[in-house]
Amino acid sequence: MRPSFFHHLHPPTIPAKQARFRYTLAAGGLAVFLMLILLVTGILEMFYYIPTPAEAGTSIQTLTFLVPYGGLVRNLHFWSAQFLVIVSIVHLFRVILTGAYAPPRRFNYLLGMGLLVLAILLDFTGYVLRWDEGIRWALVTGTNLVKSIPLIGNVLYTIMVGGTQPGPATLIRFYGWHIFGLTLTAGILVAWHIFRVRRDGGIAVPPPPLREDQTRITRSELISREIFAMLLVSTSLILLSAFAPAPLAAPITASAQFSESTRAPWFFLWVQQLLKMGSPFFWGVIIPLAVLILLSLIPYIFPKPIKHELGRWFPKSNRIAQAVALVIFLSILTLTLLALLTAA
Amino acid sequence: MRRYFLLVASFSLLLGLLITAWQENRQPKAISLTPTLTGQVEYCLTCHADLAEISTSHPVNTFGCVLCHGGERLSLDANLAHSTMRGGKNPSDFSVVQASCGGDNCHSGTAGNFRNHIQRATTSIQATYAGAIANIRYTFGVQPDLKARMGIFDIREPQSTSGITELAVFNPTQETNLFIQAFGQNCLTCHLSAPPLPKSAYFRFTGCAACHTPTQSPGRMDTEQLQSNQIHKLTISISYTQCDTCHNRGNYNLRTLTFEPRQDLPADRLHDYYQPIGQFTSCEWILDCIDCHTRTEAMGDGNLYSVKKDIQYIQCKTCHGTLTDLPLTITLADPNDLAFRFALLNPVIDIILGDTLLVTEKDEPFWNIRVLPDGTYELFGKADGQRHVFRTVKGSACLQDPARQDSGSCHECHSVER
Repeated sequence: MRPSFFHHLHPPTIPAKQARFRYTLAAGGLAVFLMLILLVTGILEMFYYIPTPAEAGTSIQTLTFLVPYGGLVRNLHFWSAQFLVIVSIVHLFRVILTGAYAPPRRFNYLLGMGLLVLAILLDFTGYVLRWDEGIRWALVTGTNLVKSIPLIGNVLYTIMVGGTQPGPATLIRFYGWHIFGLTLTAGILVAWHIFRVRRDGGIAVPPPPLREDQTRITRSELISREIFAMLLVSTSLILLSAFAPAPLAAPITASAQFSESTRAPWFFLWVQQLLKMGSPFFWGVIIPLAVLILLSLIPYIFPKPIKHELGRWFPKSNRIAQAVALVIFLSILTLTLLALLTAA
Repeated sequence: MRRYFLLVASFSLLLGLLITAWQENRQPKAISLTPTLTGQVEYCLTCHADLAEISTSHPVNTFGCVLCHGGERLSLDANLAHSTMRGGKNPSDFSVVQASCGGDNCHSGTAGNFRNHIQRATTSIQATYAGAIANIRYTFGVQPDLKARMGIFDIREPQSTSGITELAVFNPTQETNLFIQAFGQNCLTCHLSAPPLPKSAYFRFTGCAACHTPTQSPGRMDTEQLQSNQIHKLTISISYTQCDTCHNRGNYNLRTLTFEPRQDLPADRLHDYYQPIGQFTSCEWILDCIDCHTRTEAMGDGNLYSVKKDIQYIQCKTCHGTLTDLPLTITLADPNDLAFRFALLNPVIDIILGDTLLVTEKDEPFWNIRVLPDGTYELFGKADGQRHVFRTVKGSACLQDPARQDSGSCHECHSVER
């Protein structure tokens, strides 16, 4: 049988040991799958969404409650976006904790970091597009953080918000970034990232002579496993969408007051918690940026994993990078939990 | 990978899709309504189709629900739909009444066409509680006279002709006198913005609904039962039991400066009044309060007053006249007369052009009291529709002193034994 286009996206064979779920966690492949779901559901949502402050909320309510299966589409979009952030983080930590960023994959690691940032920005801009009371605190706080940057803060704020305070220009800008700027960039980076995976030799494994297990699986087997993972994730998404609707609140009105329950989206809760410690610029901009830079520089500043240790979890040669990553992860997790507990 | 795994995963997805389709189909079918006044579709009737129309003058096809109640008109999720409702279940609470019931074509119109209800109600004694506050502050020496200076909320009424044009908000925490603080803490339960007391024998709403939205079985259940018996109704046919939710619900303990809500459920109107020394003529306990007390007395006339007697002006002679004069009357000649509107809204009497009705000295029509050809008068109860016939003082053996027209003077002869 002549291989199809989809077969050609995969290498003819890959090492069996590194193709196991317990090694890859299927995170990279699922991230691509979730992006495809987001693309399709996002396009469907665009038929109903009206990006103006007066109609954004009501158009979402129309889609959610009155369009047949509109609520399902919106819920799928929402849950896929949350899953995407999660599997992207899982993918990042899998790469760090297995040392898979070792040369020649350092540049692709940076592309992946870029994609993670894009996934978060896409999630945040999509969150803002609800334009309801549930997002107002995050919108005001998030944009004010930009304003706190010395010298260029006000300019950046004006560019982002389109005025002196959030309004119609803000919504259309976030919409533009969400459906075009960020999505296009993410599409290009995904293609580049996948291309580099193949160009850099596929999944990270020791050189052939150093491999304990020389067994390989075919791409048909790989595709079967991918389909299996996609089916399971699809089922989870469908059930979540059916029984746990995406959040929705009353549209933003000038007279409404911030309620005590307003808070950042879950992936920024740790930043919200940091902001309680003092200077918005230091805790809300410098520290998150430092975390991002530190994670990005892991392949460059810490000892490189040695080749024969590749393809397995927790290689001894990059323990420092593992420790740094775990400290960062646990810190963010703790701050997130603290924010949740405080809100509760 | 074993094909078995793929098969199971495929079936699980299929099952998920079926569950989703089932979930979608079990949603209630949306019922739309586009009220003529808003022109915007709303879906409240999806869940509230069985709710009775609130009044004949507020037909749902004209007003819809959202115009008065607020809320998210497109949402089929109860929490979201109700999240922006004005005043919770009661859009007539004074904190939101302007947005709910106001508007030039609704209840904040001009005094000239008798549509300034919100302005009158919010400046009335029942809303400001200014008289009681002034009384207590005067009693404990923090103000030199009984003139009202403070109310439940701050309000400015430059057009007020009573000599009082503004009231500051009464804040008990800023008072230095402990008794006034106690009064503020314990006794501010009797105005139109005060929620009903917990465990009180009577339940009522706040704002306009305190009077205009009766409960299903007023005065007969405890608060919880009454809350579950709320009805969707606005009426000008207000029974005395609705007035009793404030005016017969207990008494102040002046020694402890607390309010003591009555624990019993009064069944006998005459004997179960909260003040044992109260005296009543038969019309005071046979008729409903609104049969005599006009809307200006109850809802105010737009001016700020210090005490009830400044606004209350109906006396026995208003209906019964004096030894020398018959009560004032008006003969209906204008089909747009206000009396016709009231009789239409509360059709207990069928009045026609040419009928002669009683009228107060402030020209408020007693649209339910008609002069009969034989010189007697017939009154139709505004709340119960019952017909009563009465005579005037003139030509009777009454020993009335024209200079003494307060109720106490009439009670000397006409009060019934309690």
